[in-house]
Amino acid sequence: MSAAVSEAERRELEAFLFLEARLADTSRYAEWEALVTDDMSYWVPAGPVQPGADPAAGLSYINDNRARLATRIRQLQTGKRHAQTPVSRLARSLSNIEVLAATDGEYTLCATQVVYEVATQASARLQLWPGRVTYRLRRAEDGSLRMAAKTVELVTAGEPLPNLAFLL
Amino acid sequence: MTNYGDLVGGDRVHASLYADESVFADELDRIFTRGWVFVGHDSEVAEAGQWVTRRIGREPVIMTRDRDGSVHVLANRCSHRGTALCWEHRGRATSFQCNYHAWTFGLDGSLRAVPYPAGFEKDRVSLGLDRPAQVDSYRGFVFANLDGSAGPLAAHLGRGGVDMIDRLCDLSPTGTIHLAPNWIGHQVHSNWKMWPESDNDGYHLNWVHASMVSSAPDTYYQETVLGGETGNQSLAVDWGDGHVELDFRPSYRRELAWLGVTRERVASYCDALVAARGAEAANRSLWDGPPHGLIFPNLFLGELNLAIIEPTSASTMVHWHTAVQLDGVDEAFNRRILRQSEAAMGPAAFIVPDDAATAERMQLAVDGVQPGWASAADPRGWIDMSRGLGRERTEPDGRKAALISDETTNRGFWRQYRTVMSR
Ligand code: FES
Ligand SMILES: [Fe+2]
Repeated sequence: MSAAVSEAERRELEAFLFLEARLADTSRYAEWEALVTDDMSYWVPAGPVQPGADPAAGLSYINDNRARLATRIRQLQTGKRHAQTPVSRLARSLSNIEVLAATDGEYTLCATQVVYEVATQASARLQLWPGRVTYRLRRAEDGSLRMAAKTVELVTAGEPLPNLAFLL
Repeated sequence: MTNYGDLVGGDRVHASLYADESVFADELDRIFTRGWVFVGHDSEVAEAGQWVTRRIGREPVIMTRDRDGSVHVLANRCSHRGTALCWEHRGRATSFQCNYHAWTFGLDGSLRAVPYPAGFEKDRVSLGLDRPAQVDSYRGFVFANLDGSAGPLAAHLGRGGVDMIDRLCDLSPTGTIHLAPNWIGHQVHSNWKMWPESDNDGYHLNWVHASMVSSAPDTYYQETVLGGETGNQSLAVDWGDGHVELDFRPSYRRELAWLGVTRERVASYCDALVAARGAEAANRSLWDGPPHGLIFPNLFLGELNLAIIEPTSASTMVHWHTAVQLDGVDEAFNRRILRQSEAAMGPAAFIVPDDAATAERMQLAVDGVQPGWASAADPRGWIDMSRGLGRERTEPDGRKAALISDETTNRGFWRQYRTVMSR
């Protein structure tokens, strides 16, 4: 299933995802946070997800409501978050972008994402974070896009993972 | 042969113990083969046929529940040609069938069936799965001793292990707990012993966790571990036998501080606990909360989290954790525990990733240290662990205790290490 959107609208949606990706890659926390809604949810499940699964039923790597996401960003901004001091060097590739649903200024998209990370804080290892991302985007009153939900299903979810302290 | 008495002093240890491969091999033998090791909680295999996979040191095992209700711990290795019988983290089976030549084992590990039996002359009884010589449990916590030489579990747990497990389970109105539906593995490029240390180090909080403290300032860590050197009454405790604890109880200024709520918010839980245990005992538990300590060598009771410290090589390990769920409470209460756990534990949480970065930095610095440097004419590679040694006191109940920031917990771990590594 994919939703019919105009070419212009599709380009606008993709541009938003690329901006979000670049701000996350470059650890521009305040600018990234400005893209999200007041009810943003950010979910990185710790295992394969069954359709309709309740994120609250088990333990996730990340299961942030807006308040906890704000704490996460505040912590990164202290400059004392050792797990991100210095910040990881990051580059992510987004592909396979599909618009799954579009109704009343709200859009559901999915994409495939691979984040390349060098964990500069200690081990300086190259780490790969491949996964499938689902976004819920919504138009604000001024018509611009905001992100209301981001779910990252890592293909490595459920296996032991190293520190995941940057914005996935 | 390494003489561990030369590498572990009462107030210092030699850094080669975190890096040397032959030390790691000795640990797998003397700690993880000859000693008791935590395997899992029996609620993980509540029903017959449920199984989970674990490691005892590097030995892969299956913990499963038999039809008669007993819990077995079995080597996850076919006795024919050595194939793993289970390759996922958990599942359910009526028997274990190897996919290579289809030998079939019962839930008790006995060999039940072999295809083409005519060519098979050995006694099947001799070909059951390997299993630890001793498996025992206390309040659902299942431990195993691979070689059978460790003596009874009760002697291993001692007062400290029993006291900490009791305080955790007694928070439940039924006196029993179960675990969250999944464990999360945190992979760290550090020696495993840095985790019994840092999980129970009351000295590092103000620095390693400064970012958490300033961005989430309303946690109970404020009253229990922060402030100046003498600013709170929490204790670093050595129970003996390698079991150690950061005892927050003297610092709590209100009941339920450990849960971050008032009594009104969890009234039905408190009522159930009072009904089950009487007002005095229940109120004591509501103030005291769960323990924060280590059961030697691999089980961390982190308030309402359990963590297993799994060594994978001299310089790598996995810190596995899950959340404790209380029986006899409503779902909202247990979900509060899950959300607390997500904030504290695992690769993306607010606390443990900073310990992981620190442990990896420590590993970077110890990786090349050689055991021979300890006793060279110009000794190198010793690291200090003397803090608070002079002000340790023995409590009336026999525990050694000092200020929360003193290294009493780390010395307690290492004293047991020296004892068992010297056997
Ligand atoms: S290896 Fe298991 S049946 Fe042959
Ligand atoms: Fe810590």
